Parts: sequence; structure tokens; C-alpha cells
Amino acid sequence: MGDVKEAVKALYVLFEAASGYAVFEAVGLDAVGMTAEAIQESISDLNRFGRVVNMTAFKPFSSAADALEQMNAVSEGIMTSELQEFLQMNLPKVKAGKTPRFAVGVAEPKLGSAIQEATNIPCQSNDLVLEILRGVRLHFSRFVKDLKDGDLEKAQLGLGHSYSRSKVKFNVNRVDNMII
Amino acid sequence: MKGGARVVIENHRHEGIFIARGKEDALVTKNMVTGESVYGEKRISVEGEDGTKVEYRVWNPFRSKLAAAVLGGVDNIWIKPGSHVLYLGAASGTTVSHVSDIVGPTGVVYAVEFSHRSGRDLVNMAKKRTNVIPIIEDARHPTRYRMLVGMVDVIFADVAQPDQARIVALNAHHFLKNGGHFVISIKANCIDSTVPAEAVFAREVKKLQQEQFKPSEQLTLEPYERDHACVVGGYRMPKKQKKDVPS
Repeated sequence: MGDVKEAVKALYVLFEAASGYAVFEAVGLDAVGMTAEAIQESISDLNRFGRVVNMTAFKPFSSAADALEQMNAVSEGIMTSELQEFLQMNLPKVKAGKTPRFAVGVAEPKLGSAIQEATNIPCQSNDLVLEILRGVRLHFSRFVKDLKDGDLEKAQLGLGHSYSRSKVKFNVNRVDNMII
Repeated sequence: MKGGARVVIENHRHEGIFIARGKEDALVTKNMVTGESVYGEKRISVEGEDGTKVEYRVWNPFRSKLAAAVLGGVDNIWIKPGSHVLYLGAASGTTVSHVSDIVGPTGVVYAVEFSHRSGRDLVNMAKKRTNVIPIIEDARHPTRYRMLVGMVDVIFADVAQPDQARIVALNAHHFLKNGGHFVISIKANCIDSTVPAEAVFAREVKKLQQEQFKPSEQLTLEPYERDHACVVGGYRMPKKQKKDVPS
């Protein structure tokens, strides 16, 4: 649930899409209230949700192989050097010795702690972040200007195949591991 | 079943599903990939009024719980042309291929299966059906495949695991639209074999209600499956009366 103490800080969220990484800034949280329920009310309508969050950065993956590498890392909660660079370039600087005035919402806590450990960027994963990410997921293709209808699905399709193929391929014993 | 002029195709009550009326009636879906069967099912080619051929695939209720639910008279499966569906427990993709037929080229089926053995068949099937996105991953950990899935209209689950309700809820929290729907097949034996099936179903429905699900329908899959129930309902349904937003 919305934590009042967090309200004084700026909140960003990291969204990992099949086509690239994106950072959103939650700007209108005060307007709709800080609770997960209030966010939930606003996400179904793009006009209202567009006032709640802004996309501040998007970095498309350079190739299908790059996308697969990023996904393999993200699904295991590992931060790649590309992700680290992307975050450090597009978030306020963290100065040594000072408490940062912002936080980054991440979908999964393990990736959050990996980011926090390496970069000192404070991360959080909670219901509020989950609600914002639901809204971002719903409207994502409309935030990214170059993404046409169906482009995101194409990226998901390509990445889904390469990710799933690599999973199946890793199993060396294939047909021979039936337990009868 | 021989095709030609002797078989007549009728629309089923559910959009995207058809009935072939010939010597015997059969439930069919319109084949997305003409000329190919996925798992050895029969195909029926029918000549339309304008002389073009349309091919349908026979959908066997003994092999597919969704087909069993349709023939059992389920009120609404919420899966229709254009739908985005998250399918948990896709197995080799036999039912997934029919769901792919139903949603058609404008829809998407995210098909999740953990077993590598059936996953390989699933991946192969998806090669020919571009509206199926295969995901070989554990449905218990939706964050692992969060990069692959968009928001969906319907979650269909046939995972046959004791913690099925929790698995569906986790996925819904990430991927199911507000006001979206779920269709779950529950196998009583897989959850608890020590109490009567009816008691298991009631308990599962209660678990779902605690997770912002609103079950609206429950039916047994007899005579096609024993001790199976299919539960259908909505997720985060809009409140009927607009109340002040609690803050």
C-alpha cells in the first residue's frame, strides 16, 4: 500500500519490455492519491494515466541476440552492464554520502537488490509499483512514439521463440529423460 | 470426415467456434494454417458460397477441457476473435492451437509451459502459428517472463497443481486487465484426493474470491473428464455503484 513517507521522494519505475528498457517517472501521484487502489482506478484510461506517469527514457535492444541476453539476465534477477549504464544515464545522480531523493520501482525484488548493490540507486518493489507497472504494460506501445500497433507483439513473438528455444535446447538428454 | 457439399458449417453460440453438421456433428475451429493438422485431428474443407475453400479442424472434447466446457454448455468463455489470452499449462499445444484458431490473426496467445518435453512440441507448433508466443517457463514465477507478456483479456489455466489458485492469482496481478476474465479447469485429484470433489471445488472458489476474482459460473466436465470442474469469472470487476474513492 502507499507509504506516506515515500511521497516526498520522486518515484521512478523500470519497465522491461520485449523491445527494450524504459524508465517512467511517476509525477501525478499526489493528484490521484498515493494508494495502490487509486492508481488502479486511473490506469484503465490513458488520458488519466498519462498524467500519472511520464516516460523519461527508452533504450531499444540493439538486436535479437541482445534482447535474449537481457531477458536471460532479467528473468534471473541479474543486472547486465547495459541495464546499469541505462539506469545511471537516465536517473538522477547518486552522490556519495547523501541519501538519494528518489527511488526506483522494480517489478522483482531480486533485480532491485542487484541494482541497489552495484549502483546505490535505491530500489523498491511493492503494491504501488506493481499497479504502476500494470498501467505501463497496458499503455506501453502508446508511450513509445516509434512503436506501431503490433510491433510490440512482434518483439514478444521473436523473443518468446528464442528464449523458449534456448530453454528447451539446454536439456541435453531431451527425449531420453522420460520417467516410466 | 469427408468434406464437400454434404457438410454444413454453422456458427456456434461462442464467436470463433463452429459446428460441422454432417453424418455426425462435430465441434470445429477455422484452421489458421490451411492444410495442416497439429496433433492428427481431422480436417474438414468446406466450399463457401463464393466457391472459396475454408478449412476447419475437429476439436475433440475428450482431449481438450476447453472443448469439454463448450460442449457442456458454459455460458461464456470470453475467448473470441481478437482476444489476448494468457494460457497457463499449455502442454504440447493441442488446445492452444484451437485457441489460436479462435482468436485469429488479430489476437495473441501467450502459451506458458514448464515441461521441456511437451514444450518442444509447443515451440514447433508455434512456428507455424504466429499468434502463439511460446514461453517455456514456470508459471509460478510470472516475473521471469514479464518481458514477454502484455496485458491480456483472459487467463486460461489448466496447470493441475495443488496451488493452482495462487498461480492464477499471481499471473493475474501482473498481466490480467481490470475487468478481464479467467477460465480455470480444476482437477479435484490434483488438489486434494482425500475429500469429495465438490468440497475441493468449493474451497478453490473461495481461494479465488480472496484474490479479487469474482467467480460467476462453475460446471463439471462430465462426461468428458471425471471429477473436473471448470470455473469462469471476472477479475477486479468495476463496482456497480460509483462510490467515493477511498484514500
